[in-house]
Amino acid sequence: MTADRRTSWIMIAPALVLVAVLFFAPLARVLVISVTEPSFGLGNYAMLFTSASIQRTLLTTLRICVFTTAITLVLAYLVAYVLTHARPAAQRLMLLGVLLPLWMSVLVRAFAWVTLLRREGLFNKALEALGLIDHPLSLMWNETGVTIGMVHYMLPLGILPLWAAMRDIDGRVLAAARGLGAGPVRTFLRVFLPLSLPGVIGSGLLVFIFSLGFFITPAILGGGKTIMVAEYIDTQIQESLRWGVGTMIASTLIAAIFLLMFVLGRIVDLRTLFGAK
Amino acid sequence: MTRLQTFAEDRAEIMGLRRRTVLKGGAALGVGTLAVGAAGFGGGAQAAPKEVVVANWGGDAVKAMTEAFVVPYEKATGGKMVIDGSGPSNGKIKTMVLAKNVTWDLVDSGLAGTGELGPAGLLEEIDYSIVDKSKVTPGFAYKYGVCNYMFSTVQAWDTSRIKEKPTLADFFDLKKYPGKRLMRKDSQAMLELALMADGVPADKLYPLDVPRALKKIAGIKKDLLFWGTGAESQSMLREGEVVMGWLWHTRGVLLQKDTNKKITFTFDGGLLQPGLWAVPKGNPAGKQAMVAIAAMQAPEGQVKLLAAMGNGPANPAAAPLVPPELNAINPGAPENVKVQAKIDADWYQANYAKVRQQFLDMIAS
Repeated sequence: MTADRRTSWIMIAPALVLVAVLFFAPLARVLVISVTEPSFGLGNYAMLFTSASIQRTLLTTLRICVFTTAITLVLAYLVAYVLTHARPAAQRLMLLGVLLPLWMSVLVRAFAWVTLLRREGLFNKALEALGLIDHPLSLMWNETGVTIGMVHYMLPLGILPLWAAMRDIDGRVLAAARGLGAGPVRTFLRVFLPLSLPGVIGSGLLVFIFSLGFFITPAILGGGKTIMVAEYIDTQIQESLRWGVGTMIASTLIAAIFLLMFVLGRIVDLRTLFGAK
Repeated sequence: MTRLQTFAEDRAEIMGLRRRTVLKGGAALGVGTLAVGAAGFGGGAQAAPKEVVVANWGGDAVKAMTEAFVVPYEKATGGKMVIDGSGPSNGKIKTMVLAKNVTWDLVDSGLAGTGELGPAGLLEEIDYSIVDKSKVTPGFAYKYGVCNYMFSTVQAWDTSRIKEKPTLADFFDLKKYPGKRLMRKDSQAMLELALMADGVPADKLYPLDVPRALKKIAGIKKDLLFWGTGAESQSMLREGEVVMGWLWHTRGVLLQKDTNKKITFTFDGGLLQPGLWAVPKGNPAGKQAMVAIAAMQAPEGQVKLLAAMGNGPANPAAAPLVPPELNAINPGAPENVKVQAKIDADWYQANYAKVRQQFLDMIAS
């Protein structure tokens, strides 16, 4: 080991210790509880295959997360595309618009949606006044409401990596495609879209993983009927005291995320996605 | 705050909001989450052995309980009592007991607490040689918890859309009164009210016919919304999201006030439930916790709590001390007790964990 390397190890040691003590140690405890409570063994994990209640919660979570990710990606792609091609002044203004909601509490945003979407909310009142509907639409207290709230929360997280990826696309490549006779649609489909794909995967991954752990938005906008996995875990830990079951699901979730990262890592270079390279 | 709230937690929140300061409002919204951080640092661990630490759900419940309980206790026994408002959730109590680092002597709990914690060996048994059973309304003194105050789950409705006082059966009659209905996201009280709506007499509820109750509720699930916090139940009725709902009487009282009785409620067909004192296993003050419970059985303090928070006194001897104007909102007032069913703790001890999950599965499916 050279002196240089030794110095750098010493310099990152405090951070490593901090992560080990405050993050990996509790995480290891979660894992241990999941195989020791109520008795030693994989009994809790067997529930993944036997408990209809857990399976349904996981499926609901998966369904909402997939929809949220898909809708977020489409919207984020549009915004990022316009953002990349806007003039600098407009770009700054747009960026502020993207970032502003990011700094607002998730609670405030969920309640704002309640005001807009509820039975006698702004949206339904406006549609009724315009004569478009006779009865209020069920815009929330269901999965629709949850998805709307989550997409709104996730948009900045989706837009920023996409924008970063699109900024790195060399404009001369596009000009060359046009010069060689490709129309605008073809240039986009054959050149721009493939070049922006790492950004799509990166932001999709980020949004999907964030969505998996969502708690407040589904609890407020779901009308109590949309129970996602984070809430299920919370009930097991705080109320029912079935810690073994709660920690088992939490561990399963972490394992699933690692698996997802691993598979995607085979397809694209994760270090490029998160800007480390 | 989005976690399922207990009655005690919500009552603390009501008190917080009543002060109408921005700070308190914020604290009320964050009760569930903020309290977590403070849990491990609750005072009293290193204090003198006789000091009793009472854990409740914060907000102005700290002030109300100080006036109602701490002052008389300290005067009567010369001991010290501290209120810790950081919120004694089941999960936190289990963490403390397993870590053998218990800082609370008494926790403001309910059947959801004693039902789960007691059988798991996480609570001390109530010592009825010190705590006086005769100072508790019959049926509300249990092995792992003793009644601290009473509350009710009642039916409330929107008088602008329902002109006549609806029965429990009307809750399930979508033709007679179209519109959404509101229930708590928990089996407790919901199953009882559903069974009574289905024709089961109030005194023949237990053992609960769970499949029958779940089937009854599932029949109108499309038109049901479920609340987790008391504030949620209140706003859904006030804002016209639902035409009727089953909620805590304290929120019913607030709705009557806020809407000038446009939203109203009745104790008829309600379920009388106890708030319970429970003692975490290995509590620092030992038997002194029982002495404290006994001191708090004095009727005067309990009437103060009724006036401040709407909690019904647990001690029947408090009845003559209750001013007549408070009797209308007192779930334990004799005329209100007569028209309600009474919860059966033994049944909950044996069945709660399983049935609660069944209930959640039913609403999520």
